[in-house]
Amino acid sequence: MKKITMTLFLLILMLINSNLFANDGLTVSNQVEQASEVVTHALPPAYMVIPFVLLLLAIATGPIFYHHFWEKNYPKIAIALGAITVLYYLVVLHDTHSLLHTLAEYLSFIALLASLFIASGGILIKVDRKATPMLNVVILAIGAVIANVIGTTGASMLLIRPFMKINKDRIKPYHIIFFIFVVSNIGGALTPIGDPPLFLGFLRGIEFFWFIKNVTHVWFPTVLLVILIFYFIDLRNKDGESSQTYSNKIEFKGLKNVGYLIVILISVFIDPGVMSWVPSLSPLPFGIREIIMFSVCYLAYKGSDEKILKANEFDFEPIKEVAYLFIGIFATMIPALQLIAHEAKILGDQISVSSFYWATGILSGFLDNAPTYLNFLSAELGKFGFDVNVKDQVHQFSLEYPIYLEAISVAAVFFGAMTYIGNGPNFMVKSISERAGVKMPSFFAYLIKYSIPVLIPIFTIVWLVFYYGKG
Amino acid sequence: MRKLEEVISKKINPLYYGNRVLLPFMCDILKIVIEKDIITDFSSSKKGAEYYKRETYTEIYFHDYDDLEDYVTKYETIKMIIVEAGQDVFDFSNHIKIAFHVKEKHILEMELLNDNYLFIE
Repeated sequence: MKKITMTLFLLILMLINSNLFANDGLTVSNQVEQASEVVTHALPPAYMVIPFVLLLLAIATGPIFYHHFWEKNYPKIAIALGAITVLYYLVVLHDTHSLLHTLAEYLSFIALLASLFIASGGILIKVDRKATPMLNVVILAIGAVIANVIGTTGASMLLIRPFMKINKDRIKPYHIIFFIFVVSNIGGALTPIGDPPLFLGFLRGIEFFWFIKNVTHVWFPTVLLVILIFYFIDLRNKDGESSQTYSNKIEFKGLKNVGYLIVILISVFIDPGVMSWVPSLSPLPFGIREIIMFSVCYLAYKGSDEKILKANEFDFEPIKEVAYLFIGIFATMIPALQLIAHEAKILGDQISVSSFYWATGILSGFLDNAPTYLNFLSAELGKFGFDVNVKDQVHQFSLEYPIYLEAISVAAVFFGAMTYIGNGPNFMVKSISERAGVKMPSFFAYLIKYSIPVLIPIFTIVWLVFYYGKG
Repeated sequence: MRKLEEVISKKINPLYYGNRVLLPFMCDILKIVIEKDIITDFSSSKKGAEYYKRETYTEIYFHDYDDLEDYVTKYETIKMIIVEAGQDVFDFSNHIKIAFHVKEKHILEMELLNDNYLFIE
């Protein structure tokens, strides 16, 4: 309890400490990755977090209270709020480095999401089996495992439609929500491909297999616990019990697109930070990897079987929604992340493993988990006198203080399931489900009816068992 | 009064004009999915949709879409669960799932949905 209070205190202190209405002349370091150059700029005042808060509020309330206005205007709202932050950084702070860095992260994020979305849209999996809680458990477990091979986005896009089709006569919102919990988030904690924050850690110097070696003992019981809760809820669902006969066949179409998925996975590693022979396109805010991914988007869409696209009701709207909203989220969260990084460095000595776990987790649920992870990684390294920009030091830190790294890795990935905006695929799964006729809970209902009662107790158990009183 | 079977066999296409849809048969509508909107309330004349059973056709107005052409893309459809006029609405076997593809010249192409489509009743 003391640790939780400490974490909340830390979060509040970050905001108070950074002087709500004045730019106090503090500075922040922005890393320009390609050049490994460190440039200092003024820290933004705390009121610059307001556009981010407004955007979060709009995402939460728009679909409930002004649904059609939101549907028509969300791109303009996201861009307008993002533009406020961008203009502030350009005109007041003269800080183009933070903007370029964020643009590069956004392009990398959307290239991966879009390419996985389009390539998997051309794959059709049909399972003609009777829906049972046990079959659903198997699908969720498979999803959790393959999320580590093709990413949480790839696994979500590949499995959400077959999962819904199997359950079409008995589907309820909890099916989709547990799918988001397990396949779109928690499952992907074992490899850098699984979830973007771990990939950023990998680029900084953490070994590829570090996560599977150090996180599996947390991942396995957590996935098991969430699936077990799902199983008992699903057992009570008696809808759709009929005498219909099933062939038990599993049909798979769109092999060509599996090839595209493999290309995307290989391209993840085509980065100057991983392979020294890969040319950097600096100062452009994208690299060879993003060019390959965007090319796959085009080729996979043009080359996909029209019948499969039609059967999947493939449409660009879900990815368009993510692309627009995350333009706003990425831009408006720059000040929030910089303030957090600044405070985390100041308070680094006082922050324990528990505080790192809860602070990374809570912020990952509402901010994008990738930059949040990187900032807390930087704070942890700072606490022990290491530098996040030096690969050998990150590697050394991962060997000497694994418990710290484990806590933020677990928290960043797991807590992404807390809200629709915690991780990219959450929103896409929601959008696909709604288009299929499933009425999904609102932002708040998701949080209050599902995340808080199901995930928070599990994440608390994880904390008590693995991190409480350590470090 | 035309039957749905006749409409399908003679390939008589429904029509749309902006936000108005004309189905060439009479039916009750139970659910419409258009984009992310799931419409089951047809009582309002301001939001969602409303429909009228005319003598030979059914007329639907979508209040939140100025022009359906702007919203429903090539691969997307307007999906409906309908019950033909004269059929027992309480018998689930009479619930028919249909998709409408927006085409040029105000034409909607109608397709009875099979299991390939993901449409939850």
